[in-house]
Amino acid sequence: MVLLLGLLAVLAPGLALTPAGAAPADGDQPRVVRVGTEGVYPPFSYRDPESNELTGFDVDIVRAVAEEAGWDLRFVEAPFDSLFPALDSGRLDVIANQVTVTPEREARYLFSTPYTYSRGVVVTAADTDDITSLEDLEGRTSAQTASSNWAEVARNAGAKVQYVQDFGPGVELLIQGRVDAIVNDNIAVLDYLATSGTDEVKIAGPAGEEVLEQALAFTRRDTQLREEADAAIAALTEDGTLAEISEGYFGADVTVEGGTTDVDVQASDTRGRWEVVQDTAWPMFVGLLKGTLPLTAASFVIGLALGLAAALARLSSIRALDWIARFYISVIRGTPLLVQLFIVFYGLPQIGVDLDPYPAAIIALSLNVGGYAAEILRAAILSVPRGQYEAATVIGMDYGQSMRRVVLPQAARIAVPPLSNTLLSLIKDTSLASLVLVPELFREAQVTAAATTEYLPLYALAALYFWVVCYVVSVAQGPLERRLSRYVA
Amino acid sequence: MSELIEVRGLEKSFDQPVLRGVDFTAAAGTATAVLGPSGSGKTTLLRSLNVLETPDAGLVRISDARLDFGEPPAGKAAYRQAVKALRARSGMVFQSHNLFPHRTVLENLIEGPVQVQRRDRAEAVEDARALLAQVGLAGRDDAYPAQLSGGQQQRVGIARALALRPEVLLLDEPTSALDPELVGEVLDVVRDLAQQGWTLVIVTHEVRFARDVADQVLFLDEGRIVERGGPEVLTDPREERTRRFLSRVLDPG
Repeated sequence: MVLLLGLLAVLAPGLALTPAGAAPADGDQPRVVRVGTEGVYPPFSYRDPESNELTGFDVDIVRAVAEEAGWDLRFVEAPFDSLFPALDSGRLDVIANQVTVTPEREARYLFSTPYTYSRGVVVTAADTDDITSLEDLEGRTSAQTASSNWAEVARNAGAKVQYVQDFGPGVELLIQGRVDAIVNDNIAVLDYLATSGTDEVKIAGPAGEEVLEQALAFTRRDTQLREEADAAIAALTEDGTLAEISEGYFGADVTVEGGTTDVDVQASDTRGRWEVVQDTAWPMFVGLLKGTLPLTAASFVIGLALGLAAALARLSSIRALDWIARFYISVIRGTPLLVQLFIVFYGLPQIGVDLDPYPAAIIALSLNVGGYAAEILRAAILSVPRGQYEAATVIGMDYGQSMRRVVLPQAARIAVPPLSNTLLSLIKDTSLASLVLVPELFREAQVTAAATTEYLPLYALAALYFWVVCYVVSVAQGPLERRLSRYVA
Repeated sequence: MSELIEVRGLEKSFDQPVLRGVDFTAAAGTATAVLGPSGSGKTTLLRSLNVLETPDAGLVRISDARLDFGEPPAGKAAYRQAVKALRARSGMVFQSHNLFPHRTVLENLIEGPVQVQRRDRAEAVEDARALLAQVGLAGRDDAYPAQLSGGQQQRVGIARALALRPEVLLLDEPTSALDPELVGEVLDVVRDLAQQGWTLVIVTHEVRFARDVADQVLFLDEGRIVERGGPEVLTDPREERTRRFLSRVLDPG
């Protein structure tokens, strides 16, 4: 890890470093407030099927609060389990995503006045008849999001918890019979039932009698922001704005205690399957152009440079360089890319290295490519016969010249086929960047799949996009190989 | 300074001693042939002259470049400078040509002059074409080494070494990797060079060729010069070991 940090220190100056936390309001400038939300949790936080704009009950609430409080909002969409780490590491100022107030969370975060009062329900497959309450979950398996309070509720009821990324995939597991139940908010479940029109799952019963409160979450430092939010919520309750937003979504006012027993949820998405696929194809293509391809290009170029440096260090007669390079390669190849990505994005801010999503993803992916490319390049350099070095030496070339003019051009020919494998892996690995808040191709597919439950067609479309890009790359490999081999008889 | 090459007390061990104190000199414009059984140290001797091998002790001087391995200059930079100077005064032809396979014939020739000596490219190209004509490969500028026969490759190797305008040309068994029918064309080129007055040091097994071309013959065995003299060393050797070697080479089986 020391080496990783060292390399980061070398790379970091070239990339955008942002100070932790947004600067407080300065004079007349409205304070920039970064709001974390899932974007895949209808009807609270999702993309409007027509416009692909972020919308939903929580989104509308936080927009109203911002207008009242004079904040300049910036939305950041991320999986629920990423929201709290992002808040902790100073990448977010507030979470607006039906965060339930619990004692554990209150110990770590500040909460606004609640803006939703809801109840938990137990969801099962339609043909399950031996689960009707929380008590029946004892010894059964329940699908939950890891950092959600509902996971806690299910665990406390004695259920074995199977972790999923959001509600939609949990329902799929339920339908497939891989889990027995899901505990979730009644409004979210009603929305899912309305949108999907499914009769394969049902609300089996209440998850306890308790009424739960959902509120905006802030870091413990940010008392000022919390106070501004509370003042705004009080004013918006007073003038009926909150009630109006709630009526619009649920036909009832869920913003006051006792209003949630009889909600009427409209389907948040009523499009047919092919309509969904057609509407999502373009945002996915944009994700490909703006996320997948630039990430791939930047990471591959930087990764190759790192790999070459590491390969030359491995071949160096200076012991220390060799050992540093060995350690780097070993760490990169011996740890999962996902872990590397999380260390760079969520871990480093804790020691003051705070990177934006794109630079963080590029650094993690580059370091990863570098580790694999190093060994490929080392083998390729070693494959150049010793006589070539001698010939370069006797015509008076120094190390740099012999590498650049004699060895590397010949090594390139050997390295291209395995390096193109690395490139193909990289293209596909960029999909992991969605977990560190980079909006790329697969993220777009996930967002719509969550809102519409059209998993198969949307993920198949994502696969098709990746496959086409990889196919183009592998086709380009041929001419490149021929060009580099033109001197071979 | 009448002698262009001076070697004194050269010693080199790998696992065991390979050179055990070699001395010789060679005058400018002469051809020196180095012969001896395999393992006698002749290739190591040649590779010591441009420091492809680093001798353990002894002195090498080519023209005004001089390096005493027993008492090397103080400091890495000064040592490197001395090595560089020796290499700048010599050109080398390898047993297996070691042409740059990814560069054309012409590019192989101008690589050193343009990249290392920083000579004008147009001038280097003109020089290179003249050298190619001299080794009988005019017009093959754009061929890649792999498209040439072994003999042609070795002639390009000679031209590449000459393109640097060295004071001494070192040839390490230039024909031993060739098919027998290709040996002649390479030897003809070397013979021409000798006649034109190039200073040559040739490690070779071609006894008849050495007899024809060499002004000086060094016979090495077990890391020592056993016999040193004119070409008559190869017709009328004084030493028993030389005689035995010659009879084996000239009359095998």
